[in-house]
Parts: sequence; structure tokens; C-alpha cells
Amino acid sequence: MRVGIPRGLLFYRFFALWKTFLEELGVEVVVSPPSNKAIIQHGLVYGVEEICFPVKVFLGHAYALLGKVDVLFIPRMVSFYKGEYNCPKILGLPDLVRNLFWLEKDAVIDDEVNMRDRGIRGWWEGFLNLGRRFTENERKIARALRRAEEAHRLYRRKLGEGYFPENLIDGRPPLPPKEKKVVLLGHPYLLSDSYINMNIVRKIYDLGYSVITSDMVPEERIRKALRTLPKASFWTISNEIVGTAFAFLEKEDPSVRGFVHLVSFECGPDSLVGEVVERYVKRKKRSLPYLRLEIDEHTGEAGLVTRLEAFVDMMEWRNAHHASYVPTPPAP
Amino acid sequence: MRATFPHLLHLDIALGILYPTLGIEIVPPPPITQKTIEIGVKLAPQNACFPLKVTLGNFIEAIEQGADTIFMVGGVGPCRFGYYGQIQRLIIEDLGYKVRFVLLDHPRYGVRPFFEALKTMAGGRLSLPKIVQAVRLSWSVLRFTEELEGKRRALRCQVEDPKSLDRVIDGALEALRRVKSLEELEILKEQTAEKLSSLPRNGRTDFLRVGIVGEVYIAQETRVNFNVERLLGDLGVYVHNSVSTVEYILHTLRPFTRSKEKLEAWKLAQPYLKRFVGGEGIDSVGSAIRYAQEGFDGVVHLYPFTCMPEIVAKGILQAVSRDFDLPILHLAIDEHSGEAGLVTRVEAFVDVLERRKWEKKRRLEHDGALSRR
Repeated sequence: MRVGIPRGLLFYRFFALWKTFLEELGVEVVVSPPSNKAIIQHGLVYGVEEICFPVKVFLGHAYALLGKVDVLFIPRMVSFYKGEYNCPKILGLPDLVRNLFWLEKDAVIDDEVNMRDRGIRGWWEGFLNLGRRFTENERKIARALRRAEEAHRLYRRKLGEGYFPENLIDGRPPLPPKEKKVVLLGHPYLLSDSYINMNIVRKIYDLGYSVITSDMVPEERIRKALRTLPKASFWTISNEIVGTAFAFLEKEDPSVRGFVHLVSFECGPDSLVGEVVERYVKRKKRSLPYLRLEIDEHTGEAGLVTRLEAFVDMMEWRNAHHASYVPTPPAP
Repeated sequence: MRATFPHLLHLDIALGILYPTLGIEIVPPPPITQKTIEIGVKLAPQNACFPLKVTLGNFIEAIEQGADTIFMVGGVGPCRFGYYGQIQRLIIEDLGYKVRFVLLDHPRYGVRPFFEALKTMAGGRLSLPKIVQAVRLSWSVLRFTEELEGKRRALRCQVEDPKSLDRVIDGALEALRRVKSLEELEILKEQTAEKLSSLPRNGRTDFLRVGIVGEVYIAQETRVNFNVERLLGDLGVYVHNSVSTVEYILHTLRPFTRSKEKLEAWKLAQPYLKRFVGGEGIDSVGSAIRYAQEGFDGVVHLYPFTCMPEIVAKGILQAVSRDFDLPILHLAIDEHSGEAGLVTRVEAFVDVLERRKWEKKRRLEHDGALSRR
């Protein structure tokens, strides 16, 4: 049996886990090729026009696998952190793929993984159901999950050391670190797909900065910083973005010079948590510069470069002058 | 304490009865106008959904009128609504207004803050019988406002003069504000029913039937959705709205309360959308399927632009539309929506529905049986 995993959305987070899990169960795994123009185009054609860009990209990848595999592997990752959710679009993703491409009912593996209320039990039961699609043997599934979690831990540790998913998945050589750093905020599916983000990591690197992403900040530090908020949001990845930003809010690390927040246009969670980050950054008298870049399928590379260059100039200037308090506008 | 709250169609009537009974002075926000929307758009995050902007406008306008406390509810997601309060509080704080923001959030985010907020919203001292009485009356009033709106939708295509219908309903809504007890409410209900039944009818029976599905705020708040219901009614369409505040509140209090319609809609949606995706996503899908099964001619899907659950629903409604041969008009509303464009689209949609109905009838006469395609 050939199982296809579309390269999009949570793939960048759970690549090692899903792949090891499926392979341990004796399944042939096919991952769609890295994003390219044709894939994006298919996503745009089949997607609902108002849905966010990453989902369109995902649909393009799912389309690229149709006909080449027996079944698509799109587990419904409702929640992978206790008490939190993923975005509604990820919750409805398998249904969207099924209905937009007119697929048969069992052409998509869509069992639910939900840690929201039941924590690790929800996780385990979710993967048990996923595994039952391939084998009756529960012990085999448990063993596969154990090995998959091992691979996941290794993968996450590598990411923590500064590798990017693309370095690990496609074997691209990593960039050597630079002294000055920028905190690059954003959903992993935007930061990790260098085709759709127009290679922003490389662009920032060429301007003289390495980047720090949420993956490189220890989870305890993110969660501790998040407690600044009276109520954290209910989206896990958005919380990680806010937590990462808050972890660097105090100017403790002199090598960190600014925040770049990559947002996809029409991203629901980021439209709110981006505002939270921006307001907290501005409330600090001596905070780091913050740049929000919105991208979607219409974004031009030249505009992105211009804005990044201007931002780098500003970071340099601010770093020299230490003046960074921007008062909020008065009431209407 | 001079408290205020956001608008949601006739919620202000119900709360206007609840709060004075509990001894809380309220400052209802002025009715939603272009200015409200402009204030909200200026202050809110650019890509936030439209209801956040409008309700923020409500708050600011109410503060300008002297409110010093804001009552807002929270939520647990995954839809953005549950986080509105947090963002609005930040914005109002940064603007420098000295107001108290009372946010009633799920006990999940702390049992003590929950009870404290509840206590504030109930007027400080919790005297249970008094609260129960006040809640019962305002709840009945809220239900009645929805009944009235339902009548307005259903009767608009059947009465001779829609203006007199509006007069009766708006009159009843005004009278509701002065209701003091359940007995008075009963009398008002009877009087209104009499008035409605005595309105002269135009005798039409072959009107088109259109159902409305969508997000709870946009699909109900006629002041921001350009009154699509009235527009359809004036074109001679019988309108039914599956969205209601009462249902919304009942759903929020689950698992204790869940109406039959809601459960049915969720079950109907199963083959297309397997689980709750936040907001009203699954209700939109299920209700559209129910309308198809009940023989409605079309469905209008109303939602704020970029609403996450409704966009999932939109993708899935395309499949519903295909499988049930049911035309669906998707209307995304935000501050950039123009009335002329919306009116044109609704008129064109009604034209399509009329044409389809006529074709079906003709085929029925010709073939003697209703073929599906």
C-alpha cells in the first residue's frame, strides 16, 4: 500500500513522526515534491478563494499525490497540546480535501488526534486508530508509535540546534551561524517552505543576520514567557509564536536585534496574536524593532526585499541610538 | 457602575430588561452606524474578523456616552471569537480609557475569575431568586424577539404591504423594552399575533424559499449585512434563518442544553464534515443540507470575510451544493462590502432560482415526473 503525505501545514512539524510511524507499519510512504509553481497553481485552482495561502499550498500538494498513491495520510490533528487547539482549517482539513477533490470516503486517512481534554491518552488513541488502518496488531502499532516518537524527539532536537526542516528532509546544507540575529516569528509551514516564503531565511542571512525560530527556543522558556498574558490564545502554534516573542522582549541577549513576523494574509490566529505581540513590543520603552510581513500568492519578491532591507537599516540605526519607544495613537 | 455590552441584533432589549432588574445601570451602545464601523476599523487589527471591529466600535461609542464598565464574554476556541475580549481590552487600555473590562470567560481559565466576573455581572450580591426571575424574563423576551424576526421573514412575501408588517413588528419590539413581567409579555404576544394575522395578504403561494446559514453575528445583525433578509423578502422570497442567538447561547451552555434542530444539523453534516470546527461551521453545513431536504430553492451563506470556520464550511458547502443540486450564494461581509454590489448579487441569485423553478415545473409538466438533472 502506498500512502501519500502532502508536504504542507503540520507536515513540517511531524515529518519524522509520521514517516517513521507509517514505515514501521510496513507502508510505503510517498511525500509530495518540494513546492513549485505548478503545485501552487493547482492549489489555487481547487482551493476556496478566501482560504489562507498555506492551505491552498497544502491542497496543491495533495493534488500532486492524487493518482500516484492509494490513500492520502491527513490525520486530523485537532490538538497536540493539552487544553489547546489547532486552527479550524486544520481541524477541517481532511474534509476539505475530500470534498474539494471529489474523493471517495476512504481515500483519506483522517483519524482524529486530540490531546485537548484527555492529554496523552488522546494522542495514543488517535495513533492507535490511525495504525488500525494498516494492521490489527495493537502491539505492533504501539511499537511503531514508540519508535516514531523517538524519531520525533531526535528531529525536534536537531531543529533546536538550528537546523531547518528542509536541511533534514531534503538534505540541504545548513547555513553557518552569524553573530547578529533576528527572531523570525511565524507558523512553521511558512518559515520552512522556502519556495512560498521566497527564501526569506537566506535573504535575511545575506543581509547579515541569522535567524532564531520558535523551534530553536526551548519549550519551557516559551511557556514561561507566555505567562505574561492574562489569557494565552487557544491555538498551540500561535502560542509558541507569542511565547517566543515574549522570551526576547527584554533585551537580554545583545546578539538579538529585532523581530520579523511572517504572516500569511487571512491567517485567522495570527491576525489576533500578531496584534498582541506588536502591542507588547511597543509597550516596552526599550524594545526591539518589529516588522510584520504579510505574504500570499500575490506577493512580489521585490517588495519583500525592499521591506527587509529597510528594516535592516532601521535595526542598525536603532541599535546605534537605543531610541525605540513608539507611543500608541490617541483615542479618536 | 455604568455598564455596556456589544450589540447583537435585539440582545440590547433582553439585557435592557435583565440589568436594571439586577440593579445595574446600563449604557447601551448607540445603534450600529457607519461611524461605529469606522471607529472599529480604525482601531482593530487589520485582518481581524468584522464582528470584532463592530463590537469594538460599540464599546468606544458607549464609553463616549459615559459607560465605565464593559461586559464581554470569552470562549475556548478554536474560532477567534473567544479571544476578542483580550484584544479589545488591550486596545482600550492602550487608548488610555479608564474603564473596567469585565470578561466572563470559561471556568477553564480559572474558576475564581469566572465567579468574580459572574458576580459583577449579576450586580454584586448574588440573590438567587431575584436573578432567576430576571434571567427568565429576559430569556423569554429574547426568544420572543427572535420569533418576531422569524415572522417578519416568513410573512414579508405573503402580505400586501410589507411596510405595515414592519410597523407591527417594530412596534412590538419597542413595546418589549417596557415589559415588566412574564404576564405582560404574554399579553403582548397575543396582541402581536392578532395584529399579524389581520394584516391583508396578497394571496401568493408559489413563492421561492431561501434559507440563511452562516456565522452568528453577520447572519443576524441586519445593520451590517445590508439587511439581506429584507432584500430577499422584497423580491418575493420566503426566508428562513437557521442562525439564532438563542441557539447560540444554548450551544455555549452545552452539554446541558442542546436543541433538537442543532443535533439534527450536526448529524446531517457528518458525511461532509466529521467534527466541530469552531463557530457555526458545522451548523452551516448541516442546515444547508436540511434546507435541501426540505425542498428549499436556495441557500444564502453569510459570514465575515476571513472567518475561519465558515471558510471551511464554504469549501464543504461547494460539495453540498453539487450533491444536492442546491444553489448557494456565499456572501462575505466586511468593511469593504458595498451595498450596490451585494444587492446586484442577491437579485441575480433570485433570478437564477426563479429560472430553475420554472424549468423544473416545465419539465414536470412535460415528463410527468420530476427528474433530478
